[in-house]
Amino acid sequence: MTVTILVAEDEPLMRERLLGMLALAWPDAQVVAAVDNGLDAWDAYLEHAPRVVFLDIRMPGLSGLEVAERIGRQAHVVFVTAYDQYAVDAFDAGAVDYLLKPIQPGRLDKALARLREKLDSQPMDVSAVVRQVKAASPAPAREQLKWLKASVGKQIRLIDVEEVLFFQADTKYTRVVLEGSEALVRIPLKDLLGGLDADRFWQIHRGTVVKVTAIRAAERIDAERMQVLLRGSSEVLPVSRSFTHLFRE
Amino acid sequence: MWKRIVKWQRELDPEQSGVLRDPCLATDAPAGYRRLVAKTLADFSVIERQELYRFLLNYHGRDLWLALARLSATCCVVGVLVKLALFPEKSWLQILVAANGIGLAMAMSIVAVWFNYSKTARFKYRVLLKVAVVGMFIGFVSALGTTLLRGDSWQALFDILPKIMLGAPVAMIVLIAAPTIAVAVLRSRHYDILTVRLAQEAEQARLARELSETQLRLLRAQIEPHFLFNTLGAVQQLAEQGAPRAAELTAHLIDFLRASMSDMRCEQVSLATEFGLVESYLAVMQIRMGERLRFRIDLPTSLAATRIPSMLVLTLAENAIKHGIEPSLRGGDITITAQEDADRIRIAVHDSGVGMSDTPGNGTGLENVRSRLRLTYGESASLALSEAEPGLLAELLIPRKDAQ
Repeated sequence: MTVTILVAEDEPLMRERLLGMLALAWPDAQVVAAVDNGLDAWDAYLEHAPRVVFLDIRMPGLSGLEVAERIGRQAHVVFVTAYDQYAVDAFDAGAVDYLLKPIQPGRLDKALARLREKLDSQPMDVSAVVRQVKAASPAPAREQLKWLKASVGKQIRLIDVEEVLFFQADTKYTRVVLEGSEALVRIPLKDLLGGLDADRFWQIHRGTVVKVTAIRAAERIDAERMQVLLRGSSEVLPVSRSFTHLFRE
Repeated sequence: MWKRIVKWQRELDPEQSGVLRDPCLATDAPAGYRRLVAKTLADFSVIERQELYRFLLNYHGRDLWLALARLSATCCVVGVLVKLALFPEKSWLQILVAANGIGLAMAMSIVAVWFNYSKTARFKYRVLLKVAVVGMFIGFVSALGTTLLRGDSWQALFDILPKIMLGAPVAMIVLIAAPTIAVAVLRSRHYDILTVRLAQEAEQARLARELSETQLRLLRAQIEPHFLFNTLGAVQQLAEQGAPRAAELTAHLIDFLRASMSDMRCEQVSLATEFGLVESYLAVMQIRMGERLRFRIDLPTSLAATRIPSMLVLTLAENAIKHGIEPSLRGGDITITAQEDADRIRIAVHDSGVGMSDTPGNGTGLENVRSRLRLTYGESASLALSEAEPGLLAELLIPRKDAQ
């Protein structure tokens, strides 16, 4: 099976560099997506479920550390950084893979050799090291979304995020469902994600984010699939495979 | 008896000089008058204590007795002159005792006030009053004593009493209070000047230290490893592609490094130099960030020679990139302008990035800018940040006459 790779790096030249070097050093791997910010990285991860993810630490939207935390142990993560001494020390201590920018061919070959050895086993969980690094660095205190503006006819409606039961992606828009009503917001769901508290709003599908307190129950459909039943709405929301671990006992 | 006095003096001496060096020792002195003396010494101001300590070092043991002998000899000479000139009818003994008594009292009060001038200078009139009252009392007692000793009638006492009770205070004031207070006032004025000078020196030292600290922070902040490594990576990538922009990016990087290294060593630079530095920085970032960054820099030629503290505008531009454009998904524009009005120069750095809310950890850069403004202009310059839908506006206001 071809190894699939996701590359997330915000500077175009550095992204091209990594892509070019990967093509040379690992010709039989396939880069399924190359993105320039953390939100797109997370979205592309959900879409393609790549085996290996290269994450720049400093990116707009979500940082590489935050994306890695969301991915958990579902993919092999390799961090990319120009200079984050504390993170590099923590990665070394925790045996987490990383590359230093500008990436030099020799170093990339070594990292890829290490990676190939691990490919058959389950990816390691980097979240402990990530939490340690995030706690030590002045992490962006991302502003939490409080209000959403939705146009309903000629009116602009203000929606309190706390009242939302769930968000659903609708191409470039996001469908916002409340108890007894719903509205369409002109922001793609993946861009809203950064402003939602990940502990209170769970993403259960690439296109669905649900308020935890609105979940009445989660039920198994078959060995692989699950769905979520809500309070305050009769809709049933599918849980994609990447997120079934949220409901595991 | 003599041995006891000597022993007492030997004990007292180190105790007092100990308190003068470290006032906390006062509580260790044995209770009674010795502790009282020690506490009084401990209440002196720092300078007073230091001077008294030095005095005690100079005049102790043999030196003290020598000094007293010199004082006594001087008093005798003065007493002889006074007898010959004014009171030929008094006996030699009377004159010499009086001269030595008055001389010793004057010397002691002046020595006392020399080292404790601040209180005396503050309570001049109270001291004057006290001396007068003490004078009256001494006059009264001595008149009473003389009358009793001589066996004079009470009538004679009442005759001389008003004369003595007025004369003694006046003599005390003229001989003791007046010189004492004069010394205290002079010393106290000298002390005030000294205090002000010490405070000024401390303030200057603090400013100098703050300046060198900001310069150090500046140095550390400028050599940003992220900037250097990412830029070198971009150069390497362009070079490997054989892109002509490799040379262009290298040229901007060289300009930036050369300008920042020479500017870091200057306290002040011209606005033209500073804007040139900022331009090469933004040109580097523009090639690295591609479509995500656009910028415009506008400096009127009339302001080109204006001098400002170095690296200030660059710090604001770096903040705009780091906290405005880089965290923004779609990037944005940076606009840097300078304007002048009647008394001020306004330098504005606007970025259309994520604005105030998403700006963690930009404290040190701005703190640096603020402290350098304060060091250069005092309170007459300012840096203000405001939300600027979209993004953030940083405004630097600098007084014109100082800036030119």
